[in-house]
Amino acid sequence: MEQELIWDLEQEKQRIMVHPILGRIEKGRRVKFTYDGREVEGYEGEPIAASLKAQGVMIHRYTAKKHSPRGIFCAIGRCTDCVMVVDGEPNIRTCITPLREGMTVQTQYGVSAEPFENQ
Amino acid sequence: MYYLRYMAGAKVPLSERNDMKRYDLIVVGAGPSGLSAAIEASKRGVKTIVFDENARPGGQLFKQIHKFFGSKEHKAKIRGFVIGQQLLDEAGKAGVEVVLNATVIGLYQDKEIVVKTGDTVHHYKGDSIIIATGASENMVTFDGWTLPGVIGAGAAQTLMNLHGIKPGKRVLMLGSGNVGLVVSFQLMQAGCEVAALVDAAPEIGGYGVHAAKVARTGVPFYLSHTIVKAEGTDHVTGVTIAAVDDHFRFIPGTEKHFDVDTICVAVGLSPMSQLLKMAGCRMSDDPKRSGQVPIIDGHGETSIPGLFAAGDVSGIEEASSAMIEGRQAGIYAAEFLGFISKTEMDNGEEKLDAALDGLRQGMFAPKNRGKNIEKTEEGIDISRNLLCRGFIGDDEIERFPGVTHKAGVHPVIECTQNIPCNPCQDACAMHCIMVGKVITALPAVDPSLKCADCGMCVASCSGQAIFLVNEDCGDGTATVTLPYEFLPVPDEGTRGRALGRNGQEVCDAEVVKIRTSPAYDHTTLLTMSVPKEFAMKARFFKANA
Amino acid sequence: MNTLSDRSRDIGEFVSQPGDEMIICRCEEITKGEIRRAVHEGMFTMTEIRRYLRAGMGLCQGQTCSKLVKGIVARELKVSPADLEPATSRVPMRPIEMKVFANENEDEDE
Repeated sequence: MEQELIWDLEQEKQRIMVHPILGRIEKGRRVKFTYDGREVEGYEGEPIAASLKAQGVMIHRYTAKKHSPRGIFCAIGRCTDCVMVVDGEPNIRTCITPLREGMTVQTQYGVSAEPFENQ
Repeated sequence: MYYLRYMAGAKVPLSERNDMKRYDLIVVGAGPSGLSAAIEASKRGVKTIVFDENARPGGQLFKQIHKFFGSKEHKAKIRGFVIGQQLLDEAGKAGVEVVLNATVIGLYQDKEIVVKTGDTVHHYKGDSIIIATGASENMVTFDGWTLPGVIGAGAAQTLMNLHGIKPGKRVLMLGSGNVGLVVSFQLMQAGCEVAALVDAAPEIGGYGVHAAKVARTGVPFYLSHTIVKAEGTDHVTGVTIAAVDDHFRFIPGTEKHFDVDTICVAVGLSPMSQLLKMAGCRMSDDPKRSGQVPIIDGHGETSIPGLFAAGDVSGIEEASSAMIEGRQAGIYAAEFLGFISKTEMDNGEEKLDAALDGLRQGMFAPKNRGKNIEKTEEGIDISRNLLCRGFIGDDEIERFPGVTHKAGVHPVIECTQNIPCNPCQDACAMHCIMVGKVITALPAVDPSLKCADCGMCVASCSGQAIFLVNEDCGDGTATVTLPYEFLPVPDEGTRGRALGRNGQEVCDAEVVKIRTSPAYDHTTLLTMSVPKEFAMKARFFKANA
Repeated sequence: MNTLSDRSRDIGEFVSQPGDEMIICRCEEITKGEIRRAVHEGMFTMTEIRRYLRAGMGLCQGQTCSKLVKGIVARELKVSPADLEPATSRVPMRPIEMKVFANENEDEDE
């Protein structure tokens, strides 16, 4: 599913800037990374899934058998539904993998780094 | 900072590795019980190492932004993540060694463990082992449960409270246990809308006060309902629920639809006891402890000598009990290893035993699980409305000893279930509030004593169940001071509507005072003026759009 | 003999039910109907179900679906889930790449 993302901080509508109990949420420095070929931004060190969720991304992968969309489910690295292809490696659990500058993050199709047509 | 040594993915130095590294005590899990165990053992000279598969220690503790219940020794009225930090500081001072990103993938009967750190696997031998691996979330299936947008309640907490991300814009919560209730409130604190709270059971599973603080904001509760279908082609765009009968079958014609982008599932926890099973411990399937648990003696020791279990892995309870069980396990391990004598062990555990016992009382105690409780320990009928709809009925509220009437400002305590908890008593410098020696007792207000309107009781009640009310200001109005933990905080002078306990608008209201104080620990005290006939009905404020 | 392992026990024919299309094992995309059918094809224990269907052998190694699968199998066998032996717990308790196991006997040269 095409998700139009024109980059600016306004796009990160899902970020909590100030929390009634936790106050200002501390983050690392802002970095650029690519998501499905588009240049986007996030905070260094936060889970990749958080940077994506901040922008409203819901779909992380499509399953092997039924090509069903999946996204974050447990958020603690246990269910493996949020896995994506990161820097060319498939099955990376984005909810526990910290974002680094310049990472390439791609929607995963099945269990490998290849698109469905090549599987 | 603190001295806790973190060795993220550390490799065992070659010089120390002959066959495998040996420790007096290996603790698996650096959550509240694991850290507590390591602290007590280390203090007694036991060479301890803690392994945790996560990148940060503290388990689920740092996601808990609400104030805990219990008494002072249980760290009542302190927020979970603050308790977590205190625990880390204590562990640091005790010189506890914690290895993070270290997954224990195997445990053998001879107390050898296999640990994966990074891309390598290591073996360690413990003379004693404490398994404190906690619990994992249960699942229920419904049509569309695999759609992006369906997340566990724990996932919502992780996203909001650890990473500062709203899980969604409009959420439906499935599950009315403490997790479902607490996370619903946290979702609202994070700026999300909660469209409804749904549970297939006929009664709310968690504390009444947790339900009440959600209900008064206007979130509707649907008990005896469950999800028919999560709708959407490639992510959640809506959800349909329906009523269920005694056999949990859908009743046709009762469907209700909500536009949501997120469905949160909070249907219980199960102990993560597979390591213990692997080691060959005798296990039992115990519904009162929520799943497969090791059979342990009074000292937390399993059927394998020197192998202990502490915290949720030995039975789902609370973080407070997990910490006490952890401390006990650390002491028992020290005695098992011969670092302390039996007398020293008995002395150490006496206070802990009493503290643990104190938590295991009241309506929600493990021993009372599954029982149908109709009256409080004082003989007062429990509010049926609270159990079935999430709020106390206006006609029920007067039954309770915390609800009294007098001229001038006075506390009104809407705490109606026996839960071990008493910070309200300590909060009142004028001694207006009484819980007593048995801390499950319902708090009572003595109307003959003067109230100083200091607000400490309102802020100290972890259940947000205390209000300061002046039933008649003399000009046809009344004032109600309530705890407010949302943003934005309305300014003084803001006009709006007061909501009743059921979350419905009851009358016009105006904010007349906003009080904040470090002593209130991030609970703002909002005082609103309402027509005096609503003094005992108005319990929440919503600004006009 | 343990009644559970007695495969001559008649548990009835497999009858299709509404809800059989529900995915239970999210990783391997195995449905409730497939699990129920497997029981009728003679898989009476959790370990057998896991080997036969791969339910619980996907990327999450049964972290998400185990309890659900257990409930379905138990209902099909007309027993309480508490009576069913969970699938064998063995190393590794978490999914692990083959290369990591291969690193096990290597000398740490640091």
